[in-house]
Amino acid sequence: MFSGVLKPVMIADPATPALEPRTEGVSFWQVAGRAFSRRWLNLIACGHIACIALLAVFVPFIANGHPYTIVYPTKAGHVRHWPLFATLSALDLCLLVIFAGAVAFAFFYRRFGRTIVDREDRSAARCETLFIIMGIVMLISGALFYFHGSPLNPNDYRSYEAMIKEGRASGALFPPVHWSSSEQEPLIANRTFEFPSADHWLGTDGIGRDALSRLLWSTRVVMGIGFVAEAIVLIIGITIGAMMGYFASKVDLLGMRLVEIFEAVPTFILILIFVATYGRNIFMIMVILGLTGWTGVARFTRAEFLKLRKLDYVHAAIATGLPLRRLLFRHMLPNALTPIIVTATFGIAGAIMSESGLSFLGVGVEPPTPSWGALLNEAGNPAETFRWWLAIAPGFMIFLTVFSYNIIGEGLRDAIDPRTNRVR
Amino acid sequence: MLTYILRRIFLMIPTLIGMTLMLFMVLRFAPGVASGSALSSGGEMQSSEARNEEIRRAKERLGMVDKNGAAIPMWKQYFVWLGKTVKIDTYSVSGVNIPGPVVDLGTSVKYRKPIVELIKERLPVTISINIIATVIVYMIAIPGGMLSAARRGATFDHAWSFFTISLYSLPVIWIGSMAIGFLANRDYLAWFPAAGLHVTDTTSHTFFEYAMDYLWHLALPILVSTYGGFAYLSKQMRASMLDNLELDYARTARAKGLSGFVIATRHVFRNSLLPLITIAAGIIPGLLGGSVIIETMFSIKGMGELTYQATLGRDLPVIQATGLVSGAIVLISYLITDICYAIADPRVSYD
Repeated sequence: MFSGVLKPVMIADPATPALEPRTEGVSFWQVAGRAFSRRWLNLIACGHIACIALLAVFVPFIANGHPYTIVYPTKAGHVRHWPLFATLSALDLCLLVIFAGAVAFAFFYRRFGRTIVDREDRSAARCETLFIIMGIVMLISGALFYFHGSPLNPNDYRSYEAMIKEGRASGALFPPVHWSSSEQEPLIANRTFEFPSADHWLGTDGIGRDALSRLLWSTRVVMGIGFVAEAIVLIIGITIGAMMGYFASKVDLLGMRLVEIFEAVPTFILILIFVATYGRNIFMIMVILGLTGWTGVARFTRAEFLKLRKLDYVHAAIATGLPLRRLLFRHMLPNALTPIIVTATFGIAGAIMSESGLSFLGVGVEPPTPSWGALLNEAGNPAETFRWWLAIAPGFMIFLTVFSYNIIGEGLRDAIDPRTNRVR
Repeated sequence: MLTYILRRIFLMIPTLIGMTLMLFMVLRFAPGVASGSALSSGGEMQSSEARNEEIRRAKERLGMVDKNGAAIPMWKQYFVWLGKTVKIDTYSVSGVNIPGPVVDLGTSVKYRKPIVELIKERLPVTISINIIATVIVYMIAIPGGMLSAARRGATFDHAWSFFTISLYSLPVIWIGSMAIGFLANRDYLAWFPAAGLHVTDTTSHTFFEYAMDYLWHLALPILVSTYGGFAYLSKQMRASMLDNLELDYARTARAKGLSGFVIATRHVFRNSLLPLITIAAGIIPGLLGGSVIIETMFSIKGMGELTYQATLGRDLPVIQATGLVSGAIVLISYLITDICYAIADPRVSYD
C-alpha cells in the first residue's frame, strides 16, 4: 500500500489487467486557452485581427480596378477575359501561397494533435510537416518573384468603364470596391479631397485616389510592420535576454547596460535618429522598429532564465552535455515563453502605433505605399482646412487594431497569471 | 545616503558613455556622411579628382581620415569626437576658478546656430509640458487605481480597466487631429488656439493674464499627452494596493475594527504609493518621445519639434544632440526617482 501515497492504484487481479479509465491530461496552454476564450471581448479582438489578416491577403480581390471577368466581342464571337487574376502581382500571389501554407499546416497540426502517438513522435511529425510546407511555400514564392513581372496599369477602372460605354466590352463583374490603391481620378476632373459620394465611399485624397481602397490596402503595411518588426524584436530580445539570464554575472552586467542604453533614449526619438540616417523604405522601417524595441523582451527573458537556471532539470540538461543552443532554446525557452508572448502582443500594438505616427509625420513608409498614418495626414493641417471625413476612418482603424492587440495582451496575461485564475 | 547617491551617479557613467558610443556609431555608419557633407559645401560641377579631394577634406573635417588620407581607427575617432563634445573649462564662481565640463554639441546645419543654444531655448518648453502632463496623469490614475482595487472584480474595476485601455489605444495622431480640427479650427468651434504657446503680443499682459493665456494654449496639447498614461499607472496602483491589503499590518488594522475606507486611505494608501515613485521615471521616455508628435501637431517650438525638423532636413548633428540630451534627461530622472525612493522607503539599503 505504500505506492498509494503517490497514486491510488487498484489492486487488480493479475490475470486480468485492470483497464484504468483514461483521463485526458489538460496542458497548461489548454487551461490558459479556456480562461482566455471565456471573455467575449478577447474573442472579438482576435476576430478583428483575423479579419485584418485576411484582408491583407485577399485585398486584391476586394479593392481592385480590374474586373474579375469581362467579355470582349470579337469577330469570332465573345471572348471572356479574367483581368483581375491576370494582373495579380508577385507579392499578391506570394501572400496567397503563404496563406495556403498556413491553412495546410493548421490542418496537419490538428491531425497530428489528435492521433495518439508518442509525444516525441508527434512533435517530430509536426516539425516535419512544418518544414515541408515551409519549403514548398518558399519554393513557390521564389519562383513567383523570379518569373512573374508585376503588371501595372494605373488607370484601370476608368478605362474599363470607357470601354463598356463605347460598347467595346460587356458583362464586366467588378470587385466591391472598384478602385485600386493607385488609381487617380483624371486631374482635369479636379476630384481631389472629395467628400464621400456614391463613387468614392470615403472620398478621395490629395491626388484623387480612392480613400477606401487605400484604407483597405494599408492592412498589408500594418500586418507586415506588426509581424516582421515583432519577429526581429523577439529574435534579438530572446537571444540577448537568454544569454544574460543563463550566464548571469559578467554577461548579465554588460547586457543590462546595453538594455539601459537603449531604454534611456526615448524609443520614438531613437527611431527618428535611425530614420534620418538610414532612409525609410518599408523594410527599413520594420528593421528599425525591431532594432529599437527589443529591450522589454530581453528584460523578461532574462528574469525568467535567471529563475530557470537554478532548477534541477536545467542542471540535468547541462550534465548531459547538450550544446548551448539546444539547452537555451529547446529546454529553457519553452518554460520562459509566457511573459514573452504577452510582451510581444503589446509590442505589436506599439509598433503599429509608432509606424502610424511616423507615416503621419511624413517620415514613415514611403509615399506611394498606402498606410493609415499617411492617410490621416491627408486630412490636412487641422488648424486650417480640416477634412474630417478623411481623418475619421483611418484613425478609427488604427485605434481598433491597436486596441485589439492590447486587449489580447491583457487577456493573455490574465489567462496565464495563476493569481487571477485562482480568484475566478 | 551620500555614498548611495554617489554610487548611483558612478553607475550612471558607463551607461552614459555607452549611449554616446551608440549614437556616434549610428551616425558614423550613416550612408553618405562624407559625400553629403562635401556636396553641401561645393555644389557646382567638378572634375572627379576635385570631387574626390573635396570628399577627402570632408572626411578629414569629420575626423575619419588624417592629413595624409590614411583612415583613422574607429575607436580613435570616437575619442576625438568625445573630446570635442565635452571639454573641461574653468568657471569663475565668485572669484574662484573651478574646472567643469563644457558641452559643445556642434552647429546645426539648418539653423546655423550652436546646438547647445537651440536646446537651451527649447528644452524648458518640453519639460514644462511634460511635468504638467505627469502631474495630471498621477492625479487621475491614482484615485482610479485605488477605487478599482477597493471594488476588485466588480463592475467599476472592469469598466475602469476597459476605459483606460481604450484610452491608451487611441492614437495620439488621431485625437490630436480631431481636437485641433473640431475644437480649434475657425470653421468649427474655435474654442482653443490651434498653435503656439501664447498670443503674439504679451507685453500688455499682467502676470495673471499671461498665465491664463499660457494655460489656455496648453489645454489641448496637455489633454492629448495625458489621456494615454492612465492605463499603466492605475494598473500599477491597483496591483500595489492589492498587494498591500494582503499584508499583516492591513489585517491587523481590520482586526481592530477599522472600516475599509480608513484602512485604504490612511494605512495602505501611503505604502502603495512607493512603487509609483519608480514608475515615474519609466514613463518619461514615452512622454519625451510622444512630445515629438504633439509638439509638431500644435506647432510648439520644443525639443520634439526640433527633432522632427532635424529628421526631415537630415540635420544629423541636431538629431544626435537631441538623442543625447533626452537620454541624459531620462538617466537623470532615473537617478532622482531612485533617490526619492531611498528617502521615502527606509527599508532600502544604502550600500
